[in-house]
Amino acid sequence: MLTDLYTRRALIFAFANRDFATRYRSSILGWSWSLIQPLATLIIFAAVFSLVFRIKAPELGNGEGSSYAAFLFTGLVTWNLFSGLLTLSMTQLKSSGELLKKVQFPAWAPVLGASLVQMIQVLLELGVLVIMFLFLRNISWTWILALPILVGMALFAQGVGLVLSIINARFGDVMYIVAVALGALYFLTPVLYPISMVDGQNELLSWVVKLNPVSWYVEGMHDAMYSLVAPPALVVIGLLVGGFLTFWAGFWIFNRWSEDIGEML
Amino acid sequence: MTIQPVGTSLAVDIQHVGKRFKRHTDRRNSIKERLVRGRARKPEDFWAVRDVTLQIPKGSVYGLIGHNGSGKSTLLKMIGGIYRPTEGSITTDGRVAALIELGAGFHPDMTGRENINLNGSILGLPRKDIQAVTEEIVEFSGLGDFINDPVKHYSSGMYVRLGFSVAVHMKPDVLVVDEVLAVGDEEFQRKCFDHLYALRRSGRTIIVVSHGLGQLEALCDEIAWLEHGELQTAGAPTETIAAYLKRVNSDEAARNPQIEAVRDDDGDPRAGDQSIRVRSARIVDLEGKAIGHAETGTTFQISLEITAREPVLGPNVRIALQHESGPLVTMVSNHRVETDFGIVEGDRTITVALTDNPLLPGRYRVHVDVFDFSGSKLLDSWNDAVEFPVRSQTGEIGQGFVQLPVQFSIT
Repeated sequence: MLTDLYTRRALIFAFANRDFATRYRSSILGWSWSLIQPLATLIIFAAVFSLVFRIKAPELGNGEGSSYAAFLFTGLVTWNLFSGLLTLSMTQLKSSGELLKKVQFPAWAPVLGASLVQMIQVLLELGVLVIMFLFLRNISWTWILALPILVGMALFAQGVGLVLSIINARFGDVMYIVAVALGALYFLTPVLYPISMVDGQNELLSWVVKLNPVSWYVEGMHDAMYSLVAPPALVVIGLLVGGFLTFWAGFWIFNRWSEDIGEML
Repeated sequence: MTIQPVGTSLAVDIQHVGKRFKRHTDRRNSIKERLVRGRARKPEDFWAVRDVTLQIPKGSVYGLIGHNGSGKSTLLKMIGGIYRPTEGSITTDGRVAALIELGAGFHPDMTGRENINLNGSILGLPRKDIQAVTEEIVEFSGLGDFINDPVKHYSSGMYVRLGFSVAVHMKPDVLVVDEVLAVGDEEFQRKCFDHLYALRRSGRTIIVVSHGLGQLEALCDEIAWLEHGELQTAGAPTETIAAYLKRVNSDEAARNPQIEAVRDDDGDPRAGDQSIRVRSARIVDLEGKAIGHAETGTTFQISLEITAREPVLGPNVRIALQHESGPLVTMVSNHRVETDFGIVEGDRTITVALTDNPLLPGRYRVHVDVFDFSGSKLLDSWNDAVEFPVRSQTGEIGQGFVQLPVQFSIT
């Protein structure tokens, strides 16, 4: 079944190419927007949470103080990958509806194509993050571990996204429910604050944050990129394999439920 | 059903196929509705296609005809793999490309060339095959330099031309075409047909839905007729189309009995001394039964009821047929064919038979003038006595107003 992904790769790339070419075509600044947006968010959040709420970021891996902006952006890159793929999968399948009624092709192709483009965006953000850490001289071999963690995050998000998108094709409310849920989940993930802050707080809250799978990926990234501590090999492998299994399950469910997609949308 | 000679392989084998749709009127489409109202109690289903069995031979052009809503498009979508049959099976040999709409999937912001790539991929062609035919597509579409402009700047004609060019160059084994043959100008249409013929010559199968019966008759090897989702008949184009038209005509007559081409005298003052007055005019068949329309090639009659107040010797009844677009098509009279009615008195009926009706499809008006035996004194003149349509039996519309009994020979 997963071999279909390989045999129809040209189609996935064709959709990715379409989305890539048309994403910012009518705007003057073009792809710069893909960086302006997250950087603006970063500046606003960093200002509000470090100056107003006085959240302290943990110690940098190089032992030279801390940087809340760098800490926040590490989490933000990971979170944006997750929420971006989820939201995009749903809107992309919906907007491919007219086409799916007229031409027969696998419905996951436009979804995965859009996700590929989203990943380019994440890579750009990652580039900015790297520059930030180079500037802070916070460098270590543990950076390499960011790759398997992000790949795991992408696969996990795509697996969930595929299932949500096919349910959303049937029940249009799902998209709005997910938007609300993502808003809540954002605060239940240690992006804005270090995970140590929930310790000793409300027991339930602390558990929810720690059981939230996105937290695991975000924490992995914090370790590898910010604190420069290598997470145990088993954790990294677990994040990657967990992501892959989620993707595989999501892909399977999507295929099962999308057989009548031409009538659903 | 068609019986295939042994050894002919099938491109599409449709066995007892049915497609059931849920009525959308009561679809629980949002979670709230599901929660509040529970599952739909009894979904109202209807069968868009039911128990259709068809065998479409390889390398043939196969037509589907029927009314709107007869299930043609649903069947096409099942052949194209867009819908799954609810029951039965469809086996296709080779790659199917369904042209339900031309240019479906074009992105307005991308150039024609970029869209060729995208559309080719969607239709399932490998990248290198697309690159191999791209120039051919550009050439065929006749877009020239416009191919590098975003398609949103295209005229609708350019848009469909590109759509058609892409689809037919994808070299599908089975090409499914839904009512998209009438694209572009005359020249481009001819190119399209030439290309479809070339596709057929190369052993590819074309399945086409169209309401252009004349077009289909010329293009197809076989035609199937669907009605209310059920197969009525399938076979040679001419016979299938004739059967279909016969049903269409009789359905219309049944639906609108009052449409019968009959008109009674409304008592308006008319020219002429009224010693004879035409009381009614009607279009009738050979048995004298009023009919709503005449068919090209089938004898029909114009029947006039007249009343002669006083005995009139050898009146000349002149009937003029005028086409709806204005021109007078012909004028017939009993004197011209040397028929003498003798002395006419009281209520009589005059019947004019138009043998093997040579009138081509269209609407015709009948004007009636009655003169005395010398042809110099007007007795009655009824303009627009009655109007009737002429329909085609074969789907052939023809050019002009009449088909003349001609014979060709070559020496």
